[in-house]
Amino acid sequence: MPQASMGLDFLARVRRTSLLAGLVAALIAGSSFTLLAGLGVAAGCAWCLFNLLALESLVAGLVGARLGREHSLRRMLVGSIGSLVLFALGALLLTQLPPAALMVGFLVPFAVLVLKAGSLLLLQSPLWRRITANPWQAAVLIASIAGASWFAANGMHGVLRAEAQAQHAESTEALAAPPAQAHATSDEPAAAAEAEHAEAEGPKMFDNALGMIIKANHGKPWANVLHHFEYVIYAMLVAVILSIIFIAAARNPQMVPGPLQNLVEAAVEAAYNFFVGILGPKYGPRFVPFLGTLFIYIWAMNFFGTIPLMHSPTANLNITVAMALTVFGYVQFTAFKELGFMGWLDHMAGSPRSAIGWALVPLMMPVHLIGELAKPISLSCRLFGNIFGEDMLLVGFATLGITALSSLHMPFGLPLQLPFMFLGVLITQPVQALVFTMLSTVYFLLMLPHGEHGHGHEGEAPHNAH
Amino acid sequence: MDPKQPDPKKASLLRSTSLLLAIPSLLVISPLVGLFLGRFADRWFKTEPRLTYAGLALGFFAAIREIHLIIRRVKAEQESARRR
Repeated sequence: MPQASMGLDFLARVRRTSLLAGLVAALIAGSSFTLLAGLGVAAGCAWCLFNLLALESLVAGLVGARLGREHSLRRMLVGSIGSLVLFALGALLLTQLPPAALMVGFLVPFAVLVLKAGSLLLLQSPLWRRITANPWQAAVLIASIAGASWFAANGMHGVLRAEAQAQHAESTEALAAPPAQAHATSDEPAAAAEAEHAEAEGPKMFDNALGMIIKANHGKPWANVLHHFEYVIYAMLVAVILSIIFIAAARNPQMVPGPLQNLVEAAVEAAYNFFVGILGPKYGPRFVPFLGTLFIYIWAMNFFGTIPLMHSPTANLNITVAMALTVFGYVQFTAFKELGFMGWLDHMAGSPRSAIGWALVPLMMPVHLIGELAKPISLSCRLFGNIFGEDMLLVGFATLGITALSSLHMPFGLPLQLPFMFLGVLITQPVQALVFTMLSTVYFLLMLPHGEHGHGHEGEAPHNAH
Repeated sequence: MDPKQPDPKKASLLRSTSLLLAIPSLLVISPLVGLFLGRFADRWFKTEPRLTYAGLALGFFAAIREIHLIIRRVKAEQESARRR
C-alpha cells in the first residue's frame, strides 16, 4: 500500500503545517483586530483539521473494509459520527464567532494543502530541475519574484490608499462647515482625556495575552480584577509550570537518569554547592531548598517575558517587593531562632561590650534598623529596575525597527530587538536571578552566628570551622 | 544524591565575592531609607525638616557601618583562607 500510506503521510504533514499556520494566523488576527477574530480563526482552522481527520478515518475505514482489515467498521463509525458532530459544532460556532474569521481559519488548511501540492508538482517538474541546476539562475529568479511581489504589494497599497483618500474627501465635502467645527472642538477634550489615560497607564510595553483579554473586555468587573492581578497570575503560572517540571523529574527517579532527571539533578547539585559554599556546611543545607527555589523561580520569571504574549512578572515592583519581604521575614525568623530574642536585640544594638558601646545603643538601634530595612528595598529595586529596563529597551528597539521600515509600507519591521533579547536570555536574566539570590544568601550570612563560616565574631579572632 | 562538600578555598572566594556584592546597593539605599523614615517622622511629629536631616545622617552612618562590617568580614575571610 505505498500510495495509500504516502497519501496519509501527506495529510499528516498538511495537518502539522496547518496547525502552525492557523496558530500564527489566529495570533495575528487576535493582536491586529479583536480577540474574537483571533478565536474565530483558531476555531475555523481547528474545525477544518478535525473534519479532515474524520474524513481520513472514514476513507481509511472504507479502504480497510474492502481489504478485509480489522477495526475498519469502528473507524468508519468514528469518521461518520465525528463529521456529524463537527457539523453541529460548526453551526454553533457560526452563531458565536465572526463568520469571516471562521472562514479565514477554515481556509488555512486548504491553502496549505494547495500550496504543498503545488510545490510538490513544481519541485518534480523538469522546469524546476532546469532552474535549480544553476544556482545563479535560481537566485536571479527568486530575486525577480521577490521584486515583482514587492512592486505588486506597493501598487495595491497605493490603490487602496487612493480609494480611502477619495472616500474621505467625499465624506468631508458632504459634511457642513458648522457641524465640522463642532466636531473638531468636541474632539479636543477627548484627545486630552486619551493622552491623560495613556500617561496614567504608564510606558508602552509589548502586548501580552492577559493584557489583550483585558483590553477586549474593557470596563467589565472581571476584567478589572484581572487587570489588578495580571502580574500575580503570570507569577502563579510560572510557579505552576516549574512545579510540573520538577514533579515530573522527581516522580520516578532512576539509577540511570533520563534527560529531565539529569537536568534537575545537575541544577540541584549546583545550587547545593553554591549555597553551602557561601553559608558553610552547618547552615547551608538548611537554606538550599529556599534559596535554590528562589533562584530558579526568579530566573524563570525573568525569562517568561521573552516568550511571545507573555510578560515578566519581575518587571513589576509589587512582585519583587513581595519576594524581598519574604526573604526579609525569613532572615529575621532565622535570627530569632538562632540567636534568641535577647541575642537578636544584642545584634540590633550593635553588640555593645563596653560603656561607650552601651552609650551608643540609642544611636545604633535606628542605624541597624535602617540597615535591615535597606536590604529588602535594595533587593526589590535592583531586580525590578533591571528587568523593567530590559523590557523598555526591547520595546524601544522594536519600535525603532518598525519606524525604520515604515516609509516603505512594509507589514513588518527590522528585528532590532533580537540581539538584546539574546543578551537578556544569556546574561541579564540569569545574572539578575543570581544577584538577588546571592544577596539574600549574604543577608542570611550576616545574620547567622559568625563563627560557623570560617571566621570569628565581629572583632574577635577568626577561627576555622571547616 | 549525595553532593560533595565544596572546596574550602573556592567557598571562601565565593563568600567574599557575595559579601562585596552587597556593598553598592546598601551604600545607595541606606541613606534613602533614612531620608524617607525621617520625612515620615517629621510629618508625624510636625518637626520639618529636622528629623529628615537626622534620618539622612543616620542613613549615611548606617551605610558606612554596614560596609565597615562587610569589609571586616571579608578581611577575616581572607585571613582564614590564607591560614588554610
